Amino acid sequence: MSALAFFLIVVSLLSFVAAQLILKRAMEFSAANGLRNSRFVSLAAIGVALMTISFFLTLGLLQRFDLSYLYPFQGLSVIFITLLAAVALKENLSARLMLGALLITAGIVLVSIS
Amino acid sequence: MTNDHTRHRPTGFGNPWLQLGLSVLCVFVSEFLLKRGATDVAEPDSAFSWTGINCLKSSLVWWAILLIIASFISWLYVLRYVPITVAYPLSRVVDILVPLGCWIFLGELISTTRWCGIALVVVGLGLVAKPVAQIEERL
Repeated sequence: MSALAFFLIVVSLLSFVAAQLILKRAMEFSAANGLRNSRFVSLAAIGVALMTISFFLTLGLLQRFDLSYLYPFQGLSVIFITLLAAVALKENLSARLMLGALLITAGIVLVSIS
Repeated sequence: MTNDHTRHRPTGFGNPWLQLGLSVLCVFVSEFLLKRGATDVAEPDSAFSWTGINCLKSSLVWWAILLIIASFISWLYVLRYVPITVAYPLSRVVDILVPLGCWIFLGELISTTRWCGIALVVVGLGLVAKPVAQIEERL
């Protein structure tokens, strides 16, 4: 795998994770303030734009790699969401979470060398 | 299952468990449509194709986009009735279906190393899914 491909996999993943967190924030904001306000619209637009970037980068990668190769990388999104939620919400990282994250990482390393 | 979230659950097509199944099915099928569509119109020598925009020439990719939107709507519907602590781990069944489908439908050769990697990811997701779902419910 080239450095460019790895870089694009990471960018695609991070834009997906950022989109999820921003959309979540937008929906929370809409629950309190309704849909017709500029803050909700701009947050939702940023979220949808990031999702779109992630989608097209994935299409670029799918032209070059097996689906069974690329798919496990999506598992990393779970770790990123967990860690970011832990940082943002001051959640304690349990031993179970850490073990799960380690297993996912080990699995992705195996897939990427296969 | 008699808490506030799951009481008064609609039946028939509105059954949230049916919708959860449909949502997972849509994601599963869309992954293969995207892979087939992207492969059909692949231009690996063109730097522009890294953007994936050239894949919009493929009708399979457009079908996949429709399925992704449908799965998103189903998922939001499911979350109205089923606690995310239950729905989220169940939705991860797609992580097992996709590699199996790659092997069965796409004929991708999956080496022992890759199978082991996929298995580790699935076990790891199983461990992580529940705490993540609890965190998301609190968000």
